[in-house]
Amino acid sequence: MSHDVIVVGAGHNGLTTAALLGKAGRNVLVLERRGVPGGLAAREEFHPGYSAPGLLHDSGHVRAGVVAALGLVRHGLVLHEASPDVLISRTGEAGLVLSSDERAMVEALGAVSDRDAEAWPRWCAQLSRWRRLISRLADNPPPDVEGTGVSALVSVISPALALRRLGRRGMAELLHVLPMCAADWLNEWFETPALKAALAGPAVAGTWTGPWSAGSAMQLLWQSCTEGRHVVGGASTVTAALLAAAKEADVELRTEAEVTRVEVQDGKVTGVTLASGENLPARTVVASCDPSRALLGLIAKRHLPTTLESHIRNWRMRGTTAKLHLALDALPEWVAAPGQRVRRARLVGDLDDLERAFDAVKYGRASSEPYLDVALPSLEDPSLAPEGKAVMSVLVSFAPYHLEGGWNDVRREELADTVLATLERHAPGLKRRVLAREMLSPADIEQRYGATGGHVHHGEHALDQWLHARPELDCSRYETPISGLYLCGSGSHPGGGLSCAPGWLAARAIAGPSAGR
Amino acid sequence: MAERWDAIVVGGGHNGLVCAAYLAKAGQRVLVLERRDVLGGAAVSEELYPGFTYSVCSYVVSLLRPWIIRDLQLPRFGLQIIPLECAFLPLHEGAGLARWSDPERTRQEIARFSAKDAEVYPEFGKTMVQMARFIKPLIDAPAADPLSLKPGRLTDLWRTGQRFRELSTEHRLQLSKMMTMSAADYLDEWFESDALKAHMSVSGIIGTFQGVRSPGTAYVLLHHYMGEIDGAFRSWGFSKGGTGQVSLAIAASARHHGAEIRTGVGVERVRLHNGRATGVVLANGDELDARAVVSGVDPHRTFLGMVGEEHLPEEFTAQIRRYKLRGSSGKVNLAVDRLPVFSCRPEGDAHLRGDVAIAPSIEYLERAYDEAKYGEFSKRPYLNVVIPSLVDPSVAPPGKHVISCFVQYAPYHLKAGAHTWPERREEFGDAVVDTLAEYVPGLKESILHRQVLTPWDLEQEFGMTEGNIFHGELSLEQLAFQRPAPGWAHYRTPVRDLWMCGSGTHPGGGIMGASGALAARTMLGARSG
Repeated sequence: MSHDVIVVGAGHNGLTTAALLGKAGRNVLVLERRGVPGGLAAREEFHPGYSAPGLLHDSGHVRAGVVAALGLVRHGLVLHEASPDVLISRTGEAGLVLSSDERAMVEALGAVSDRDAEAWPRWCAQLSRWRRLISRLADNPPPDVEGTGVSALVSVISPALALRRLGRRGMAELLHVLPMCAADWLNEWFETPALKAALAGPAVAGTWTGPWSAGSAMQLLWQSCTEGRHVVGGASTVTAALLAAAKEADVELRTEAEVTRVEVQDGKVTGVTLASGENLPARTVVASCDPSRALLGLIAKRHLPTTLESHIRNWRMRGTTAKLHLALDALPEWVAAPGQRVRRARLVGDLDDLERAFDAVKYGRASSEPYLDVALPSLEDPSLAPEGKAVMSVLVSFAPYHLEGGWNDVRREELADTVLATLERHAPGLKRRVLAREMLSPADIEQRYGATGGHVHHGEHALDQWLHARPELDCSRYETPISGLYLCGSGSHPGGGLSCAPGWLAARAIAGPSAGR
Repeated sequence: MAERWDAIVVGGGHNGLVCAAYLAKAGQRVLVLERRDVLGGAAVSEELYPGFTYSVCSYVVSLLRPWIIRDLQLPRFGLQIIPLECAFLPLHEGAGLARWSDPERTRQEIARFSAKDAEVYPEFGKTMVQMARFIKPLIDAPAADPLSLKPGRLTDLWRTGQRFRELSTEHRLQLSKMMTMSAADYLDEWFESDALKAHMSVSGIIGTFQGVRSPGTAYVLLHHYMGEIDGAFRSWGFSKGGTGQVSLAIAASARHHGAEIRTGVGVERVRLHNGRATGVVLANGDELDARAVVSGVDPHRTFLGMVGEEHLPEEFTAQIRRYKLRGSSGKVNLAVDRLPVFSCRPEGDAHLRGDVAIAPSIEYLERAYDEAKYGEFSKRPYLNVVIPSLVDPSVAPPGKHVISCFVQYAPYHLKAGAHTWPERREEFGDAVVDTLAEYVPGLKESILHRQVLTPWDLEQEFGMTEGNIFHGELSLEQLAFQRPAPGWAHYRTPVRDLWMCGSGTHPGGGIMGASGALAARTMLGARSG
């Protein structure tokens, strides 16, 4: 039987698009290369009985509009009331807990710096003033700077007016901060080194930038302003809810179905061909894979306009994230938080240490002192580990996809040792509690998840790859120059992370705005 | 009654002098006060060793606006620019890479590194020229200001927007990429040869505290192409007699129009009365009256030093405080008894009649930056070397030469503190000479005299805060309508009758003269209106 729409890839964005289009009455088929759906948000058993709930840790960016449109709460999604506390651990210092509770935060900061305690509420107030504008950008297709119609004009003028509404001072400040580097910006506000590094960490993790790179302030700003309620159980529970919503919308899902070609005739999509040779016809194909794979990998060169091809060739996606999964005999004991059950931690030095960690990738090396974003997901979802045991998941910044000499088993295990040595400093005795470990280099991430370059965001979050330039002017509004071919992955606006927004906005582009409600 | 000037210009650098010349030309009574005994600020030539004239700081004339040259009739007052003929990149292997004003010769040179790059290179140039055409009017007019709701300003903004829309889609795209990308990433999109990319990328980092891999550095690549469309006067060149001649020509023009210029007169403070600038107080305590004061010195020194924050709105002071001036470069001037011979291209001297870059690879440049980021000067720095005596025999005795080395990176804030620079000065000088000597064996033996300027010296001697040669970093958040502070990009200040005309205003650094001219124009407009 033929389908109206084929979605390539069952990651969170692919599933979002599929479910929304299904709900809008389309007959949708999702094809997933792997044996399990979920992409970067798939639950992975890395050791018998021990699973990680996905590659990415942060589940606080799922757009509220997606949750509402697909009724994800009805499909089992549980949202936290507040963002989880994050332990900031710096060797030789008392721990500091990053909390969404402003008063708790002021109190905690008061113990280390009066200046920072005083600045914190102002910092939060500033971010919340910008939140509306940034949310508006994140919840809508990028401004249509090339279009000439009324809707194009509206898409440009509406954020401009939202910017104006910040008032002269607010607007000046936002325009000032956008091109800055995170380090300069944070230095204007705070003095506690660990706090600054912990705030900058998530802005540069997964990207090819350090805190001293211009544009990193924009990342920090964007992430802070789009953070909402976190999901209980993390990424894989988002996948589960999306699957349930898709099922309800009669979306068909096939796993172990690798699409190797999108068929095009006379500039129009006619279907896809699988690795098995099977042909599946469809007039609409939506690719949730990265722009490079979608446009250069799946489309025969002769069907692509040459400028588009060269632009996509220049699309930067040099992965810098590695991942370590640990099966633990018992919970770690943190020096910075003795006796506490820590769910999230950022292991930092100061801003310069973070920058040094980044420096390494410029020369094709992995950081010798990486920045680590740690999660203990089994504390929230006990099904991830046997009773009394624990799972630790560590995002490692930075490890280059283009490692000098290339990745192999030896290099991968060396990196795991480096990460464990760092962990050991923050949580002595951890090594002895490790029952099993799984290290994923950027090359492994590429291989497992299909993300070119192992780039978890499907393309650098940089000013020149943002908004209407993501991934390329002619496909920035999810349509491509090939009739019937759409993009819906993190390589489209508003980018990577577990937001489901690209998938949501793509569905709206395909089936009209009502599909997103 | 004491003499009262229409305008007193603080600082006799090239921008202060340009401003004074325009004001005088419009009939104003203008006085320029220069703290040093020589005019020119950073555009200055001095004979520090008998017979050898150094262009002490600034060493090439970059983008001096052609309309300023015409308006002020600078050639008549002694300005003579000798165009750079070549850009040479010496390498340890092979003959290095020379790019010539003759395209065919350049093509052959590049082809030795990559046939593909040699084909792409002219196309790249064409694209750059197209975009430079867009940028040029922006540096020749006050900055459009999206923060202002005044009809005139909105019109500026609209016009800029329209001009942007008139570019082709491809050029719009390229331009936005250039504004945000790193020089290295941007060049990666065009070229494959590392040597070529390294050589081209350095124009993106001169005077900035950024590396070639830092986002935002691609834009400055355009500046090199801006010169090509400036017309009859090639904007990149040596000034005959040294860079100071540019300043002297402007000064002569200013005097011709009636301006008075005094050297050896330091201004201590801007005198204020009822929130207006009414004159200046000199270092010796004398006071001079003026209807307006124009500062050619950097924003920090102007406002935090000469005005005083007690006289300024708190918000403005905060903006000036956050204005970043971290100097990142130094200068080494050498007097040598023979022409340096680069071992990779020992024959002839045509390839030395321009600038020579020690920038063998992207990685080399980035490592130099990384060292500086953490508060150390680069042990193997990027050098931009010129030998002006080769094309202008007036600056050195026959057979002898001056070598000017612009050095990056030399961070003002050394880890041990900026004040430790004096004790590191010679070590810094040695690092520069050692680096150059790797390409020029015999260099050390040929040195008769050397002058080492660290960022600390640039601050102490030339008054540039933190030794920043552009009076403030040229990062995106400090350009156009935000230079030096949002809402204060149009040469005015919160103090009535106090104006700014230095590189810390739009369009900023380099010997463009645009800041000085645009400031004068704005002042005159305000007076007539």
